[in-house]
Amino acid sequence: MSEDPTEAMAKGKIDLVPMIDCIMLLLLFFILTTKFTADEKAIASLLPTDKGQAPTPQTTPVEPPKMINVCIYPEGLVKGFQPSEYQAKYEALKKTVGDVLPTAYLRMGGSEAIVLDGNSFSRKGHKELQANIEIVHQHVHQKLLERENSAVALRKLQDPVVIHCFSGLSWKFALVAYDAVRNYEGSKMGSKMSKDPSEWDNAREVSFAPPRIRNYSARELGNELYEIVNMQ
Amino acid sequence: MSEGKKNGRLAVPVDDIEVDLVPMIDVVFLLLLFFMLCGHITMETRVEQITVPPTKTAQKLDTPDNWERIIVNVFGSTSAGKPPRNTIRVNNVNYVAQGIDNFEAYQKLRQVLDAAYDRAEKFPDPKNTGFMLPKVVLEIRADADTEYRVVQEVQQVVSGSINPFDGMKPMTISSPAQAKPFVFLNFTTRSPGDK
Repeated sequence: MSEDPTEAMAKGKIDLVPMIDCIMLLLLFFILTTKFTADEKAIASLLPTDKGQAPTPQTTPVEPPKMINVCIYPEGLVKGFQPSEYQAKYEALKKTVGDVLPTAYLRMGGSEAIVLDGNSFSRKGHKELQANIEIVHQHVHQKLLERENSAVALRKLQDPVVIHCFSGLSWKFALVAYDAVRNYEGSKMGSKMSKDPSEWDNAREVSFAPPRIRNYSARELGNELYEIVNMQ
Repeated sequence: MSEGKKNGRLAVPVDDIEVDLVPMIDVVFLLLLFFMLCGHITMETRVEQITVPPTKTAQKLDTPDNWERIIVNVFGSTSAGKPPRNTIRVNNVNYVAQGIDNFEAYQKLRQVLDAAYDRAEKFPDPKNTGFMLPKVVLEIRADADTEYRVVQEVQQVVSGSINPFDGMKPMTISSPAQAKPFVFLNFTTRSPGDK
C-alpha cells in the first residue's frame, strides 16, 4: 500500500509520480510529432513582370535583347530530323530506360552538348554528385564567359539567359542548369542574392521558358523536341 | 532457516521498499531535451518526404520582416500512375491532378494564392508595369524527378501568366489592377554534400 502523500510530505519526501506522468506524456508527444530532416536551402528567383499577356505601359520601341538559350533535351537526340521522328525516338527511349529519363544533353547556343547524369542528382550522398555538378558549372561558366557583353556595366543589362528544358524531362535537370547560371552571376556580382526580395531585380534575368505543350499528343511532343534540339 | 530469510531471500516488508527514481528521471529529462531541441514538429509545411535537387548556390533564405512565405510542394508521378497523377500541396492540403488535362490542382492553387494576395501587404512594381506586388515569397519545393512541365506550369499559374480556369490559356486582363501576380520565388534545394 502506498504512503499517504501528506504523511510523506511531513517526513520530507516529495511524491515524484505526478511529475513523472507529465514528463512521460511530454516525451511521448515529442517522440510522435517530431521529424528529423536535413535543413533545406533555396535559390531565389524573380519572375519578370514586364513580359507576357498583361498590358504594359507604352514605351519607346527598342531592339529586343539577345537571348542566351540553354537547351536541355534527352540524351541521344541530334539535329536533322522531323518532329514525328523525334517523337518516335523519344517513345523508343522511354521503352528502353523508363519514364524518368536518367540522362540529358545540355547545350548552350550552337556549342557542343554535354551529358547531364540525372541519377546522381536525385540520390542523396551519391559519390559522383559533386563531380557531375562541377562539370555542368564549368561548362556553363565557360560558355557564358564567351558571351559576356563587356560593353555594359550593370549585370541586369547582360543578355538574358533562358532555359529551355524538354517538358518530359525531370525538374532536376532544369534546376541544375539554373544553378550553374546563378553561380556564374554570383562570381561576377561578388555576392549572393540580397536578403530583400524587392532588390532582386538588380541581377541578370535568368528564366525558364514557358511550356510549349498542353497535351501529350504525339505531334506536340515531337514539335517541342524539334524546336529545342534545333534551337541556336 | 534463519529469521528474516524466506526461500533464501531477505524478507523485506513491502512498505520498506523504495525504488530510486532519480536516474530514470535524469534519462527521461535528457530524452525530452533531445526531442525538443533536435526535432521539427510535423505541423510545418515541409512534411512531404521528397528529394529536392542539389545545387551549389543553395543558401539559407530567411523570410524578411513583414513578408509571408508560402511553400508549394510539387511532386509528380512520372514513373507511376497511368494516367499521370501530379500533386500540389499547399498549407497541408493535397490537390491532385489526375491526368494531363485535369487542371483542378492548378485551380485550387490559384484560389489559395488569390486569398494570400488579398491579405498581403503590397507595393508597386518597380518596373512601372502598374502591378501591385504582394510581399509574399513563394517557395516551390519540387521533387527532383517531377516532370519539368509540372513545375513550369506551377510557375505560370503563380505569376498569373496562364489561367487554370480557362483551359490553361494565356491570362487576359484589361488592366494591371486585375492581376494578382506572385513574382518572388524560391526553389527549394539542398547542398550537394547533404546526406
